[in-house]
Amino acid sequence: MKNYDGVSAELAAVDGRKRLNMDKVMTAVCFVLLLIIVVIPIVMIIFNAFFNEGRLELGTFVTQVTDGKNLDAMWNTLKIALGATVLGTVMGVFYAWLLGRSDIPAKGLMRALFNIPYMFPPFLGAMAWDMMFNGRSGYINKFLRTLLGLKTMPININSVWGIIFVEVSYYFPFVFMQVVSALERMDPTLEESARIAGARQRQVIWKITLPLVKPAISAGALLILTTSLAHFGVPAILGYARGIYTLPTRIYAVIYNSGGSFDGIRQGAALSVMLVVVVSLALILQNRILSAGSYDIIKGKSMRPTLIKLRGARVPLLVLAILTLVLIVIVPLVMIVLISFLKAYGLPLEFKNFTLDQYRTVFASNGTIDAIKNSLFVSITAGIICMFLGTLVAYVVQKIRPKGKGALEVISMLPYAIPGTVLSIGVILAWSGRIAGINLYNTIWIILVAYLARYLSFSMKTSSAALLQVHSSLEEAARVCGASHTESLKDITLPLIRPAMVSGFFLIFLPAMREVTTSILLYGPYTRTLGVQIYSLRDAGMIPQAAALATVAIGIIILLNTLVTRLTRDRKGV
Amino acid sequence: MSDQIVLRHVTKKFTTKTLGDIIAVDDFNLNVEEGECFSFLGPSGCGKSTTLRMIAGFEDLTEGEIELCGRLVSSRKKNLYVLPEDRGLGMVFQAFAVWPHMNVFENVAFPLRIQKVNKTDINRRVAEALHHTSLTGLENTFPGDLSGGQQQRIALARAIVTNPKVMLLDEPLSNLDPKLRETMRFEIKALQRKFNFTIIFVTHDQSEAMAISDRMMVCDMGKIMQIDTPENLYNRPCNRFVHNFLGESTFINVEIRDGKAFPKGSADQALPLTLPPQASREMVVATRPNEIALTGPDEDGYQTHIEKRIFLTDRTEYLVPVGGQLLKVQTPHRIAFSEGEKCSVHLVEPMWYPADDAEADKERARRQLV
Amino acid sequence: MANVKFDHITVRYGSHTVLQDFSLDVESGKIVCLVGPSGCGKTTLVRALLGLNKPETGVITVGERCLFDAKKHVNVPAEKRNIGIVFQDYAVWPHMTVLENVSYPLKKQRRPKEEIRERVMHALEQVHMTEYARHLPNQLSGGQQQRVAIARALVVDSDVLVMDEPITNLDAKLREEMLLEIRMIQKRLNATILYITHDQQSALQLCDKMAIMQQDGTLCQYGTDEEIILHPANRFTFEFIGVSNFIPLRQAGSGLALDCGELIPYTGEVPPQAENGGFDLGVRPNDIVFDPASPLKARVDSRVFLGSEYNYFLSLGQKQIRVQQSMLDARTRGVAKEGETVGISFLNTRFYPTQKGEQTP
Repeated sequence: MKNYDGVSAELAAVDGRKRLNMDKVMTAVCFVLLLIIVVIPIVMIIFNAFFNEGRLELGTFVTQVTDGKNLDAMWNTLKIALGATVLGTVMGVFYAWLLGRSDIPAKGLMRALFNIPYMFPPFLGAMAWDMMFNGRSGYINKFLRTLLGLKTMPININSVWGIIFVEVSYYFPFVFMQVVSALERMDPTLEESARIAGARQRQVIWKITLPLVKPAISAGALLILTTSLAHFGVPAILGYARGIYTLPTRIYAVIYNSGGSFDGIRQGAALSVMLVVVVSLALILQNRILSAGSYDIIKGKSMRPTLIKLRGARVPLLVLAILTLVLIVIVPLVMIVLISFLKAYGLPLEFKNFTLDQYRTVFASNGTIDAIKNSLFVSITAGIICMFLGTLVAYVVQKIRPKGKGALEVISMLPYAIPGTVLSIGVILAWSGRIAGINLYNTIWIILVAYLARYLSFSMKTSSAALLQVHSSLEEAARVCGASHTESLKDITLPLIRPAMVSGFFLIFLPAMREVTTSILLYGPYTRTLGVQIYSLRDAGMIPQAAALATVAIGIIILLNTLVTRLTRDRKGV
Repeated sequence: MSDQIVLRHVTKKFTTKTLGDIIAVDDFNLNVEEGECFSFLGPSGCGKSTTLRMIAGFEDLTEGEIELCGRLVSSRKKNLYVLPEDRGLGMVFQAFAVWPHMNVFENVAFPLRIQKVNKTDINRRVAEALHHTSLTGLENTFPGDLSGGQQQRIALARAIVTNPKVMLLDEPLSNLDPKLRETMRFEIKALQRKFNFTIIFVTHDQSEAMAISDRMMVCDMGKIMQIDTPENLYNRPCNRFVHNFLGESTFINVEIRDGKAFPKGSADQALPLTLPPQASREMVVATRPNEIALTGPDEDGYQTHIEKRIFLTDRTEYLVPVGGQLLKVQTPHRIAFSEGEKCSVHLVEPMWYPADDAEADKERARRQLV
Repeated sequence: MANVKFDHITVRYGSHTVLQDFSLDVESGKIVCLVGPSGCGKTTLVRALLGLNKPETGVITVGERCLFDAKKHVNVPAEKRNIGIVFQDYAVWPHMTVLENVSYPLKKQRRPKEEIRERVMHALEQVHMTEYARHLPNQLSGGQQQRVAIARALVVDSDVLVMDEPITNLDAKLREEMLLEIRMIQKRLNATILYITHDQQSALQLCDKMAIMQQDGTLCQYGTDEEIILHPANRFTFEFIGVSNFIPLRQAGSGLALDCGELIPYTGEVPPQAENGGFDLGVRPNDIVFDPASPLKARVDSRVFLGSEYNYFLSLGQKQIRVQQSMLDARTRGVAKEGETVGISFLNTRFYPTQKGEQTP
């Protein structure tokens, strides 16, 4: 009775040939599009890493993999990723417990603030921290040096630890959000029964609460790990100029230094294989751990969890939480805004040095306006195409269930495991004239193709979840009411998953707007994106101008985010 | 027998944003004796769970004091409050609350590990607790792989392993299916006989409460209505609310004239009943559909006929006019009448309540609250 | 409204036969409950009626209209069968208002707007949901959503209304209310309702007639609730619709004896075919009464007061039997104490051939 797979198969059999044809077309479309968007770039990377002019040639690969600089980069990547994971997890769990389980005041506001780092592009944060604690010229560094009478700068953010610190401040919400929601939904009697069993509050936290939210903790921690391994922005801003490379920045360097020559791209492809292996290992670990440790801790009548009284520690912990928020959210923001008003970078932060000139320049520059236009164009286009394509794939996988549905699912999720830098190389290899003479290099289309591959899995996931909610009885009820299969699809299924499709769109549109990792390797003279433009302005030493554009970008992001929250909140519930 | 749990003037007030102050528990006084099985029974929101949570130490009191095994554990006056872990209680929750990250053995061993009991004793005592809850052999299984009934047994084993004097059971059977509920009820009683603890059993299901308890307390809207043995409560409820809450009830409004009780709407035929000592002019006669004897027309009963016959699964229901009212009577299938047939109704020891029972007022008060 | 006739229906999934040669005639204007344990094929039968699966053999007719005939290759598609259905999870479309939900079937029939309006309002009136016409389903309670589902099924003048476990997801109190509601709607419309459930209690409460299906997909009894309760056709029905005691009956010497580990002479009336033993005596717990005069003696193991009744476990020889004593009985005849030996008599006894494999050694 409950076996809805069987049921839809039954319905298909009753319907006869007509429906099977439509289903076949949909399935075929999915396979072809995924082949073009996802499979070809990936195959191209592997092919070029190991083959040269059609012959197996492992030389490039071996040279790259054994190169000292590259090994250093790999080592840095691992250090940074592990450091960020450990520290980010500790911080995320601590604040999740404080906000989810204790009687600390102003919870609602703090939760909202703790989510800000999540939507804030980390590379802008890195810019701000660089302005403050650059090992040579950071503003606060200079201030502290004078104050303390030191010879050298007290803090050097351009180090492995600096990179870790900035990544932690933007990635700890991954753990925080997972754990806080697990804590809030947890059945409070699980903890109360431990009290009855004689355990002290402290023992309950260590022996019951934390082990119970362990699945949530590891899910968040592994998300930090995989994200950090593939991350480009922060190490690029803080480490690149000081010779501290990670694999993603090293790939960029190799290609950049070779001036886009084919040989450089081949070297990049070899390095990419190295990075993909590392990330894949992390993802395999993630799957293992997540599938092993999931249990149901949400049960029974809905009760508000008993909050633990902090008593004397309440005020100090509140101060600590506020200071953390100020440090990771407000300070960088203020710094960027302040610098954006400076006449020139390096001048003291005094009112007489302030001007609005940077904004004028920004808005007068064609390059900047182009960048905003380009970003809007690729983000919206990628969002719309992915929304439909992702839904199509989800429908085929969930409802039609053709023979190769497993493969379809894996292919559409594959780019999720592939770092943005690597994907860019694949796209360059595939679409710069080598296949069927199609050359998209230096056009906006190549960025779009890369975005499609990168973000498809986002919309597919949301549409999939929504489709699972659409019970087959809803469609069947329509059939019994006299609707044909197509009509029931049009009248029932599509309207029901529309909200999920829309939120899938925004899930792609928002990160695409601030994207830098992929586009940094793909942009041409007239196809800079917003992220690339900020990065290049800064790279060219026009730091106040970069800060001004960053301020504008942050404004746009905050505006869009508020808009999205409003829109999704008012929508009819399903 | 000594008193094991004593509540004196226990009161709990909550302040809510929407409703203002709510008196969840209003001046509760009760003594539970050693080895007794005592139930808190009442509709949701009657204060039974809050009282239990105050005994367990999860809620503080607004007024009054609580004594457990001769030791004061909560007192407003003396500003005393013993933490839940120091009260030496056993407790079983509705949602089982077994820890999914520990196997059966570890769940049950947890209280002993906290007490730093040595390894051999832990092994022995856990094995014993598992034996008495029929869980032997499942030591290494995780709760997620077990049925609801087995999970509740783990919770029981965990509660008895420390040999507590007092066991608090918070609707422990509500999440189980009806058949299992009955089995578990027997098992709880068997454990009580074996380990000799005092039980406080919280439930909203009156037949469950009656089946398990030695005495029980019926409460409503934060007030104690009546405390007595199940049979006394069922047979002599103190008011209409308790009568109705403890089982299906049927009421006849009567007028007292010339020392006889005439059902309202019946001028000539009185109910053949002896009046209570202080009968007011209007009263309510309360009885239960299955306690009314239905016979062929005879001299002793109230003469009437069958208005309607409704066939139910395990009994037949008849609607019988009594004056202007319809009386509900239920009999086993073997006592069969057909619609329209003349018959005689015999009320066996009914209860008498004043017509203007506080019931109506209370209903009004409740409406205002909600 | 019309009658529904299933004629020799067989449904197989692969090698697994769910329904074998199943026949049932649902009378017009009645509520017929199809009851059986889960997995007995009742849902399969309904899906065959709706056209959501295809039987191997048999004929399904509704009134004069043949919907399915395996031999003549008749198979009317689901959307043209004109059968109303109320699913277990209501299947009310959450993105449409009550009004839109109920008008959908008429829109699919491309009826004129005016007619749609009229008929939808009429259907909503029938289920007392007129004032909720503009509400979205998530603003309604479970019971109200159920009524919308009923209105949607009623609006097209279906020949039959099928309800597949429509109250399973509701809580106990609401269930009672919905049963009354369904009954009232049926009376008002004189509809033919085929009601599917695994819960014999609600079925008995609701139905005009009841069809009891056995695990293997065969029909064991079709009749009114009273017929089924008072005259269960076989042991399965007897056990399925209530609590029961079974005691094997054997030939011992010249007479009969109850086999309770030891043989206890039985002098009660026995139908002729059971006179040589090999039968089980079945009796309901509330049909066992205390009777000091009875030669049949049992020991009281436990007594539990449940409010409306006392529940006893008695030992009859080695066998434990269950007895329910009503309060009236308890008050007039008194209660038995634990440990006491009492005389008991069996009323309304039934006799069923002993099943193989269940025989006590």
